[in-house]
Amino acid sequence: MRVFAKPFWAQRHGNEDSEYEDAFWPREPIDGLSMTSFRCAVADGATETSYSRIWAALLVRYWCRSACPATTFDGADLPKWQQSWSRIVRRRPLPWYGEEKVRQGAFAAILGLALDDVPNGSGGTWSAVAIGDSCLVQVRGDEVLARFPPLNSAAFSNRPHLLSSNPNYNSRVVNHAQKTQGTWQGDDAFYLMTDALACWFMREDEQRRTPWKVLRDLETCDEVKPFRELIEDLRKQGALRNDDVTLLRVEVS
Amino acid sequence: MPYTAEISRANPSCFLFLIDQSGSMADPFGVGESGRRKADGVADAINRLLQNLVIKCAKEEGIRDYYHVGVIGYGAQVGPAFNQPLAGRELVPISEVGSMPARIEERTKKVDDGAGGLMEQRIRFPIWFDPVAEDGTPMCQALSSAKRIVEGWLDQHPTCFPPIVINITDGEATDGDPSGPAEDIRKLSSSDGEVLLFNLHLSSHRGTPIEFPDSEAGLPDRFAQLLFRMSSPLPAYMRNIALQEGYKVSEGSKGFAFNADMVVVIRFLDIGTRPSDLR
Repeated sequence: MRVFAKPFWAQRHGNEDSEYEDAFWPREPIDGLSMTSFRCAVADGATETSYSRIWAALLVRYWCRSACPATTFDGADLPKWQQSWSRIVRRRPLPWYGEEKVRQGAFAAILGLALDDVPNGSGGTWSAVAIGDSCLVQVRGDEVLARFPPLNSAAFSNRPHLLSSNPNYNSRVVNHAQKTQGTWQGDDAFYLMTDALACWFMREDEQRRTPWKVLRDLETCDEVKPFRELIEDLRKQGALRNDDVTLLRVEVS
Repeated sequence: MPYTAEISRANPSCFLFLIDQSGSMADPFGVGESGRRKADGVADAINRLLQNLVIKCAKEEGIRDYYHVGVIGYGAQVGPAFNQPLAGRELVPISEVGSMPARIEERTKKVDDGAGGLMEQRIRFPIWFDPVAEDGTPMCQALSSAKRIVEGWLDQHPTCFPPIVINITDGEATDGDPSGPAEDIRKLSSSDGEVLLFNLHLSSHRGTPIEFPDSEAGLPDRFAQLLFRMSSPLPAYMRNIALQEGYKVSEGSKGFAFNADMVVVIRFLDIGTRPSDLR
C-alpha cells in the first residue's frame, strides 16, 4: 500500500506554541511511501495535569513503535511507558506543587490506528484502539464508513476517562479501552482528531453537512486556507471549543 | 448560559476566603478528634483549600494565574490575613500564593504502593495560616469588606467567571445579622453570572458532617441554619459534577458544608480537561 499522511495542529487560543499538549505520530508528512503496515496515533494531554505533553508524546511514539495489535491492547506495555515518563519528569528538583503534580501523574487520551496490507489485494485491514475522546472517521468517496469511538457531539465533556502515567489510576481505565477493526480500499481516507475537532466534526455530520470535505481539501490546491486559519475561524464562530487541536489525515492507495 | 466563561490567564477569576479568627474558635471542634479546636479546623481548611487551588493551576513551567486570591481574617480585626511577604495585600495572583507560603512542613502520607497495600511517603506541605482565636466575630464587617473587594475585581474583570467567596466560621457573628451583607455579595455579578457565596461551618456540635444540603431541616443548630440560608445555590454545572463524584445533591442544594471538607469545590472548577478518575 502507499500511504499519504499529514499532521495539522494548533494550540489553544491564548497559549504559546510551547504549551500545546496534544501529540501525533508520525511527526512529519509521509508522501506516498510504499509499506506493508503502517501505524499512526494522536493523543491529547489533559490541561489540568502537568507534564501531560510529555506523556502524550510518549504514548503516540510507543504505540507506533510497538507491535501490539490494537484489538488485543491490554496495557501490558504501560509500565515501560510510565517509567520513561517518570525518568524524564524527575530529572530536576521540583517545587512543592511540582512534586504533587508528579505524584498525581499526567493523563492523556490516545487513539492509535494500524493499517495492514493484504498481499496481492487492492486493500487491507485496519484496527484501532481508543482511550478517551480522540476519534477517527473512515471516509470512502462521500460516505463516512466508520466513526470510532462512536461518540455523538453531545457526548464530549471535560471529564473523560484518560490513560495515566500513574499506575494507580489505570486499573479501571484500561477497561475503558475501546477497540475496533475494519477493512480499507484504495483511496480511503482516515481522519484522526483530538476531541475539540472531533466534536465539531460529529456535530457537522449530525446536521448532514460534509465536514470531511473540509478536512480532505485542507492545504491542497482545492483549499489553500491554512489549518490554523480554519481553526481560528471556527473558534470565532463558536463552532469549536477553545482547546489544543490536532488532525492527522491519512490516505491509502 | 451562566457559569460558562472560560477561566484563563487572559480572563482570570477570583477567589476570596473569609476566615473566622474570633475567640470562640478556641472551643473544641466537634468531629471527635481529641484536643482539636475550631481554630485548628479553620487553619487546616484554608491551608488545604489554598494548596489544592495552587496545585490545580500548576503546570510544568510554573503556576498559571487562572485565579487571584484573597484571604480576609476576622476576629480582633478585619483585614487581609496573609503573612509576610504577602501581608496587607487583598488579592494576590495564585502564582505568588503558591510560591510564598509562610513555611513548608514535611509530613507523611499513606499512598497506594501499587501492590494492593499502603506505604508511607514523605510530602512537603505548605502552610500559609496558623490557628488564631481572639476577640469577637465581626462577620458582617468581613462580608462588607468582601463585597468591596469583589466589586473592585468585577469592575476590572466584568466578563470573568463569577468570583467565589468561601466563608469559614462557627457562625456566631457578634456584630449583627450577617444575612443582609451576605445577600449584598450574592447580588453582585459578572456577565457570566452571580457571585457565589459558600459557607463552611465548623462547629463544636458533634453532628454528622453534612455537605451541600438542600434544606435546613436536618441541620443541627440555628447557626448552621443561618449559614445555610446565606449560601448560594450550587449552579447546575457544579451539581452535575457533584453527582458524578457521588454526592447526593438536588436542585435546591446550596454551597454549604457542616463540619466537613470543602476542598471538593476546587474540583468543581473548570480550567480545561480534567481526568474523571483523578481525585
